[in-house]
Amino acid sequence: MTDYILPILIVLLVAYALIRRVNVYSAFVEGAKDALPMLIEVLPYLAAMLTAIAVFRESGALGYVTKAISPALNAVGIQAELAPLIALRPFSGSASLALLQDTLLTYGADTDVGRTASVLVGSTETIFYTLAVYFGAVGITKTRHALPAALISGAAGVLSAVILCKIM
Amino acid sequence: MMMWVFGLMLISGSVLFLADGRGAELMSCLLTGADSAVTLSLTLAGSYILWMGLLNIAKEAGLVDGLARLLKKPLSLLMPSAGEAIAPAALNLAANFFGLGNAATPFGIETMKKLNTDKSGRATDDMCMFIALNSSAVELLPTTVIAIRTACGSAAPQDIILPTFVSSLVAAVVAVAACKLLAKL
Repeated sequence: MTDYILPILIVLLVAYALIRRVNVYSAFVEGAKDALPMLIEVLPYLAAMLTAIAVFRESGALGYVTKAISPALNAVGIQAELAPLIALRPFSGSASLALLQDTLLTYGADTDVGRTASVLVGSTETIFYTLAVYFGAVGITKTRHALPAALISGAAGVLSAVILCKIM
Repeated sequence: MMMWVFGLMLISGSVLFLADGRGAELMSCLLTGADSAVTLSLTLAGSYILWMGLLNIAKEAGLVDGLARLLKKPLSLLMPSAGEAIAPAALNLAANFFGLGNAATPFGIETMKKLNTDKSGRATDDMCMFIALNSSAVELLPTTVIAIRTACGSAAPQDIILPTFVSSLVAAVVAVAACKLLAKL
């Protein structure tokens, strides 16, 4: 179903533009020209963030954070098995998907832990990546309350995932 | 804020590497991080070009203006001085909603550009709101997670759709509330 929505929309878009006598070819090229400067502008921010994340993760620092937050998570009723996923989620999308797969294989996809892990990954985002890309694109270094707000929202997502999986 | 996040992550990780006597590994780890940014940018290049091109066709056909008029009222509640950013912001949120992450990013960057009117290097309230909204993944169907669940032998891979949707809505509402509150501090 979702496989068809997008291609159909694109066909409709181009057909509609042609009917309205838009030069679709030059319009596409003009728009596409903006894409490369955009990438070049974002690249340094992305590199800074991904470098810091790589060092933080590979050094084992993230592991210590996971250990440190486990008791606190337990205290509010979040399973300790979810700690690595919760700690990793804001940093890396691909790594948290790999970890989700690992969690599901270890504890079972239909167990409480497995379901909560799935909901948690599905309802939260890679906050640090999003921030780096979007602020990077416009060269903003004073990010004000964007990060705290995103982190609070992420925490709410985690908590509600845990609670909803218990009652739904 | 980001300066502390970046600095602390880099320093704490490096100190741990060095304490373990893994200096050479630290260097290659730093390089891997930077390398992955380049690889990622190249992977994204194609989809950026495609979506920016299509967006411009929609713009010239008058569709972007139409969408902006339609969503001006609801979105201005969240981002009062969004102006020209309304249309790309709406496209970004819609792409996220339908699980089209690759399409969402270029629209998101376009939104940030339109929001960046004073070019002061300082985030505006609207920018923070937009980013906070983007950090709560409101998605109609979490297709990636469902696929992973299926691959891991789940008997009911779709079981998580409703809780995921509700949970991401909670995250989005909290994001809006947190932004409005923190903006006043």
